[in-house]
Parts: sequence; C-alpha cells; structure tokens
Amino acid sequence: MPRKYYFEDFAPGDVWEMEGPVVTKEEIVDFATRFDPQYFHVDEAAAKNSPYGGLIASGWHTVSLCMRMMCDRYLLNCVSLGSPGVEHLRWLHPVRPGDRLRMKMTVIEAKISRTKPDRGSVLHHWEVVNQEGQLVMIMDGHGILGRRPPVRDP
Amino acid sequence: MTTIKYYWEDFTPGWVYESPPRLLTAQQIMAFGREYDPQSYHTDEEAAKSSPFGGLIASGWQTCSVAMRLMCDGYLLQTTCIGSPGLEELRWLKPVRPGDALRLHTTVLEQTPSQKDPARGTVKFRWDVLNQKDQVVCSMTGRQHYRRRTPAQ
Repeated sequence: MPRKYYFEDFAPGDVWEMEGPVVTKEEIVDFATRFDPQYFHVDEAAAKNSPYGGLIASGWHTVSLCMRMMCDRYLLNCVSLGSPGVEHLRWLHPVRPGDRLRMKMTVIEAKISRTKPDRGSVLHHWEVVNQEGQLVMIMDGHGILGRRPPVRDP
Repeated sequence: MTTIKYYWEDFTPGWVYESPPRLLTAQQIMAFGREYDPQSYHTDEEAAKSSPFGGLIASGWQTCSVAMRLMCDGYLLQTTCIGSPGLEELRWLKPVRPGDALRLHTTVLEQTPSQKDPARGTVKFRWDVLNQKDQVVCSMTGRQHYRRRTPAQ
C-alpha cells in the first residue's frame, strides 16, 4: 500500500518537489490541435516567424502537465475533494519541444473547514522550471483535502 | 494564414462575445482525466458514484482547455493575439458532467497600450464558462497581448 497523505501532512512552509516528463513536439501539437490551435502551438514552420521563434506549448498544456505531476507525486494518495480555484497564474517563459519540467510546491496556508470538520483547505504556491532552471510558470492554488481519521481505541 | 479581423484596438471595454455550445461526453472527460488528471472522479464512472461529486466530472483544466478552444474557434484565430502572461483569478464554481454543453462568454474589462512596444497592447478579459442551464461553471480574469493595427505615435 502506498502511503496515504492527509490535510495534516501539508503544513505552511512545507516544500514538495516533483519531476515531469520531457515535453515532445508531437504532444505539444496534439494538445494544441485539440484545445488551442493558435499557429505558434500547431504549425512549426509558421511558429518560426512568431514572436517566440518556434513552436511553444499552450499554457493550458503546461498547467495540465503540472496537474499530472501533482497527481503522481501525492494527490492520488490523498482524499482529494477538488479545488475551488487558482490565483495569480503566470506563464513566464515559453515551454518548447524537448523541455523537461520540474515543479516545486510550497504550502502557504492550511485551514480546517469551519462547516465540514472532516476536511481542510490548503493554499499552495507552485513554481515550474525547465531543465535550464528558467522559471516557466508560477501559480497559487487551493485544494480541499480530507483530514486524517481519528485513531480509535481497539 | 487566416485573415485578421481583430487587432488590439478592437477590444474596447464592454466588447462581448458568446460562443455556440459544445457538448462534453463521458469519453472525452475520461480521456483527458487519464492523460492529465487521473483522480478517480475524472476517470472511473463507477468509483465516481461514491465520490463527493456523485458521478463523473471533468477536470477543471479540461473545462479551461475547452473554453480556450471555444475562444479559438469563435474569434481568437482571427486576431493578432501573441499570447497571454497569465490569469489573475480562476474559479471552478460548479462541476462539469457528461452531457453538459459548455459555452464561453467573453467580456473586455481593460485595454492598455504596451509601455515597451508601440506596436502592441494588452487586454484584460473576464471569461465565463456556462452550461446548458445557464449556470456559470468556471470564471476567469486574465490578460492577452495583441498587435496593434496602428502603432502608437
């Protein structure tokens, strides 16, 4: 059994690091063809004449890859009860074919729910960097996590 | 290349757009979930029934991605858009379920010339995603950069 994580495992100041896959050209074009077919995401030749000088990933693709990193690192082992939203999402640097993304999550705030005592709300700060250490994206996001069940006497 | 219809100058505060609806199927929800957000309420119809949502729901990032596609198909590919620096706020307000028909509602909030580049400007938008019951399921405010029709003097 993998270790389970609960609301109590996310205390302000805690840092979690996670690694993502290498982003391929095929994936960038495939995601963008479905969801964001702007020419600098889908057309390699046309992208050369864009302000980016080449193909770049849709920002929604980058953020979706981050979601997958979170899932693989801890979220699938939590009682994850969804998210009300995100503040200050910034796409700071283009993500290009061949980039490998890493992510650092810092817990900013953790509050037990006033109306539902079995859960709490965690505010996270995420920083995403590429293989050269350039900051490509930052985001602050909320997540609702289940609390550790009380230990009962046998 | 597509013909350009809208430049930075055209996005004046109060400019609105509403897209036609787009149906989201259980297959699309589970495919996106398996790829990017494999929490069981996005990927497993049976397991989702005993989740707090009572059934399969779309990843919030899929809702945003579908909104992006509605924007592209509606007007963005006919603009001089050169990307987005980010969002100020994003709220997922209601679950999106299989069979929901989503539409995008865009409103221009602010229009600012670029300080650095006379050929560009920034537009601040509010984007609301509505379902077939006219409930706002997702709401965002964010910015996009556009080339100007005429550079600032």
